[in-house]
Order: sequence, then structure tokens, then C-alpha cells
Amino acid sequence: MDFDKNKPGDNDFINFLTREKYFSDHILNNSRSMISVINRNYVYEKVNSTFCKAQNELSDSIVGKTLGDVWGEEIFRKNIKPNIDRCFSGDVVKYEASFTVPHTGKRYFEVVFRTFPVESGEITHLLAETYDITDLKLSEKIAVEKEEEFKRIEQMLEDRLLQAQKLETIGSLAGGIAHDFNNILATISGYSELLQEDLPEGSTSHQNVARILFAVSKARSLINQMLTFSRQVEQDKVTVNVYEVLKETIGFIKSAAPKNVTVKSNIRKSNVPVFADPTQLFRIFLNLLTNAIQSLEDRKGIISVSMSIVSGNRVREELKKKIVADEYVLIKISDTGRGMDPSLIRRIFEPFFTTREVGKGTGLGLSVVHGIVTEMGGEVLVSSEMEKGSVFYVYLPVSIGILKESVPSGKRKKILFIEGNKHESRILSLALESAGFELMNSSDRESLFKALSDPDSNPDLIICMSDTDNIKSSDLLEALEKYGTKTPCILIDDPDIDFHEEILVNSGIVSQHLIKPVSLKEIKNAIQLSIK
Amino acid sequence: MAGILIIEDDTELREMLKISFSRRKYTILEAGNGKDAITHFKPGVTDLVVTDLIMPEEDGLKVIMKLREIKPSIKIIAISGGGKAGPGSYLNLAKALGADAVYSKPFSVNDMILKIEELLNFEQQ
Repeated sequence: MDFDKNKPGDNDFINFLTREKYFSDHILNNSRSMISVINRNYVYEKVNSTFCKAQNELSDSIVGKTLGDVWGEEIFRKNIKPNIDRCFSGDVVKYEASFTVPHTGKRYFEVVFRTFPVESGEITHLLAETYDITDLKLSEKIAVEKEEEFKRIEQMLEDRLLQAQKLETIGSLAGGIAHDFNNILATISGYSELLQEDLPEGSTSHQNVARILFAVSKARSLINQMLTFSRQVEQDKVTVNVYEVLKETIGFIKSAAPKNVTVKSNIRKSNVPVFADPTQLFRIFLNLLTNAIQSLEDRKGIISVSMSIVSGNRVREELKKKIVADEYVLIKISDTGRGMDPSLIRRIFEPFFTTREVGKGTGLGLSVVHGIVTEMGGEVLVSSEMEKGSVFYVYLPVSIGILKESVPSGKRKKILFIEGNKHESRILSLALESAGFELMNSSDRESLFKALSDPDSNPDLIICMSDTDNIKSSDLLEALEKYGTKTPCILIDDPDIDFHEEILVNSGIVSQHLIKPVSLKEIKNAIQLSIK
Repeated sequence: MAGILIIEDDTELREMLKISFSRRKYTILEAGNGKDAITHFKPGVTDLVVTDLIMPEEDGLKVIMKLREIKPSIKIIAISGGGKAGPGSYLNLAKALGADAVYSKPFSVNDMILKIEELLNFEQQ
């Protein structure tokens, strides 16, 4: 059929058609969907501009191409063709698909194929409408993730509460047992002392009873650890710079660590006061560092320590803690060891829980850490990944200002301190000096004799660590006898080191015999009992 | 001969203290709990009290206060076994309430006896 635009009727019709085409093109091209007409040979016969924009091509270069040309043969064969074939057999096909689009990455689409009957009613073409639903999908995904995150935090808080209740229960149980045990130990030690009186001094039987008494002190020390976990031991606290304690602990660990371990410390000299018993802080760090070393087993590995200050608000936010201090110091101890199973992580702070074989380690270490940190108003957390390692986070509240013990220097008790391992000794010195004692340190025979020979520097008390390197127990006895001093002596005994402490104990100069680990409270009690 | 009252609910421990003190020629009086100790308290023959702090019936802190009320000059040694309410704080409280010495279990009886001698000698001077 031919039209002549010069004929008035034809011209109107042409104008009408032009207008219609203009409208339908406008509708077609402004749709948010990619719209195309596809024939039975899987060739594009018409595409809208949305389609072209998405493909970054002109309409002319798409029309005439097959779907395989445009989308790639593999995607076409696997994902598109089966759906198109279903549509040609008469169905309306609707599905969601995602594939990687050149330049824009992975996109999600909703695809609808509708039959497109032409003339005779035979299906020769279909109309494909593809709508990019990537943004919708992403916002759905974010909502799901948010929901999951919310659930995870809720679960974590619930777990923490359960965990805290469990530890509390175990704690009061342990406390109850400890009470009865101490009664039993008091009876054993009392009868042993009676027995010792009846036996000739220096006899084997006398010494055997001394061994019973030593075992009692060890049991007492173990019970003390249980009580520390259950936070039923009152701690003697002083204001101490956590940096100093951490530095000495790292020094101690570096000197003791096996060759396969590299200790990296990332702490800068600073003044971070916390209100704590320095010996207990030392135990926290020592326990965590020792655990880190053990997690490496015999493999090469790195242990890193870092220290930073975090605000109370951040702790509130991150730890979901309700009541917070103004500032916390965060000590992070990480290892590249075996890591832990989540089921293990949940139990590591329980007392007597250990992954080591029976007889190796009491399983009290981490429970003691938990007890001390909690008692200080801090938090200890752990994260771990199998075969990658673990990180322990210790948050301790920063104390406000520096408190100085109000003991006038003239009235300070003078202590002659016979040092053991220099790092551990430094912690004890820190603790004793912060508690108001005046210390004279001695680490060799010469300085020991010098300190005791000078009547002006006459100490009120001697504290002797049994792991001292350059002083023998006989040296101390000799010095005391030589200068005729009756200074009482507190022996801090490391059961792993043979100091021949019996020489001192039997000579009667040891007024208090403590077993490591000792707390500031215990030392202060011992000092009180020794200085009359 | 000075008299010592031992207040301790653990019979084994009480027996041990009794035997140890008897060797030093003290007269020993015993009570298994704080209530009995106060009811049967004999101020005339008791110079010193060794008392446990955590006991059934009357607890040790009340015992210390009541005994001091009855006989202000009495010497008191408090002992505590730890656990439950916290040994450290109990002992500190005992000290604050006027115990002359405090010991946490297990302790050295010999140390305690030296302390007893010191406290009672001071009394005689």
C-alpha cells in the first residue's frame, strides 16, 4: 500500500502514524527495562535505548546480532536459550538472573519473555523485557546482613552473660571448696609442726616433715590461685604505670622464649597509670605471653604485643559494656599459633579447663587472668582463627592521677632486696616502692656484704628471691653471721630452682617462707608478720 | 596459767590447736561455734581467744565485738579460711574491730604461739 503525502487524506494518516510512532518510541525508550524483540533465529530485531545504554552500543550495532553475539555463546546456550525456547512454545517466561556485564561488573536482572504473535497468529517473535534489579538486590542484601549482624551481637551478649554466670557459679564453688581445703591444710600443717618439735633437728624425719610443710605451702598457693579466679582474694593495689610492668614482662619472656619464637613489641614509652597489684599485672601478661608461646608448639612464629589508649565510649560501643571508665588501656597480645576452635574459646576462662595433657599446667592460668582483670573492672576477650592464631585483648581502666603513698621517707621501712630474675624482681621492686618501702637492691655477694656491713644502711628486713643468680644461700647466712645482724628474712621460693633454701630455713633466719607466685598482699602480710 | 578459748567449727583443726597450745601449758577452753562461746564465756579464766571468722550460728566478727564488750582487756586472734565472702576483707574487718592479730589458713602454729606469748607477756607487764 502506497501513500501520497500530497493527498490530504493520506497526509493526515501519515501525520497520525508519525505521531503514534513518536509516542510509542518515546514510551519504549524511556522505560527503565531493556526491551527487545527477538526472532526465532535468536536475532535481535529491535532494541530500546535503555538496552543500548546498558550495552554501551548503538542500536544499529545490536540489531541484526544474535543473542550469542551479545551475551556470549556460553551464557546464551546455558541460561537464555532454554527460556526463549519455552516462550516460543507459548508460555510467558519469567526468571531472575545474574551475570557479569562488561564495564559494570556483576548485575542482577529480572527477565520476562512474552510471545509476540504476528499476522497469522503464528509465533515468530518474542518480546524480551529485562529489568536491572541490582540496586534492589543489594539493599535487600544489606538489610539481611544488618539483621544477621544484629542477631550476632544479641547472641554474643547472651553468650557473654551465660559465660559470666557460669564463671560466677564455678567461682563460688571453688571458693567454697577452698575454704574447706584451707581448714584441712591448717590441720595438716599444725600437726606437722607438732611432729617436727618432737623430732631431733637435723634428723631425716625432721627434714621429711619440713617437706610436708613445703607441700602444704604449695597447696596453699594453688588454692590462692583458685580464690584469685573467684575474686575472693582481696588485692592490695597501688597506682602503677602499666607500661613499666608490660616492658618488664616482655623482657622476661624474651629472655626465656625458645628460639622458634620472635617476640615483637610495639609499645612506646608512656605513662599509663592503673590501679592494680603490679605482681598480679605481671601474672596477667606472663600467663598470656606464655600461652601464646605454647600455641606455637615447636613451629616458628611471631608473638606481637601492642598497647593503646581507647576511650570509654569506644569500649561501651565495642564491648557493649554498660558502665565504663573514662579511658582504658588496651593491651593486645597476638600469636601466629594453631588457633582455637570456637567450642574451645567459649571455655578457656573456666578454671581447670586445659588442652594440655594431665599434669602439664593446672588449667588455672587463664581463669586467674580473667579473675584479676575482672576484679580490676577490666575485660579480657579473645578472638581466634584456626591455623592462623589467636589475639587476646586486655582492657584495663586507666586510673585518674598518680597516687603517692603518704609514708614520710624517714619512716619508711628499709628492705634489702636480693634480686632474682631481673625482670620479675623489677616488678616486685615496683610493687614494694609504690607501697611505700625503701629498697636496697643486691644481686651479688659483694653488694650483699657491703649492704649488711654498713650500720647506717642497716635494713629492717631482707627479702630474698631463691632464683638469684650470683648469691648462694650460704653467702647470705655467712654475711648475717659475720655482721651479727638478726634481720628477719622473707624467702620467696621458686619451687623449680634448688637454692638450698633448707640452709636458711634450718638456721632459723627465715621468718616467712613464700612460694611463687606471690601477690603484693601476701608480701605485705609477710612483712607485717616479720617486722615486730 | 593463762587461759585460751578456741572457737572453731572444724573439730580436727580445733583439736590440733588444743594439742599445740596445751604443750605450752595454757589452759584450753573450746567452743564449736560463736553462740556457744558467748553463752559459756568465762571472763575470769580466759585471757585470749582464737576465733574462726566464718562459722555457723554467730559469725566471728560478732563474737569479737561481744567478747570485747564483756571483757575489754581480752586478747583476740582471728583466723579465716578464705572463700565464700572473701578472706582478706574478713580479716581486715576483724583487725578493724580490734583483733590483735589475724591469720589466714593455713598458718604456722609456731608463729601463732609466738604471737600469743607476746600478747600475754605484754598483758603481764
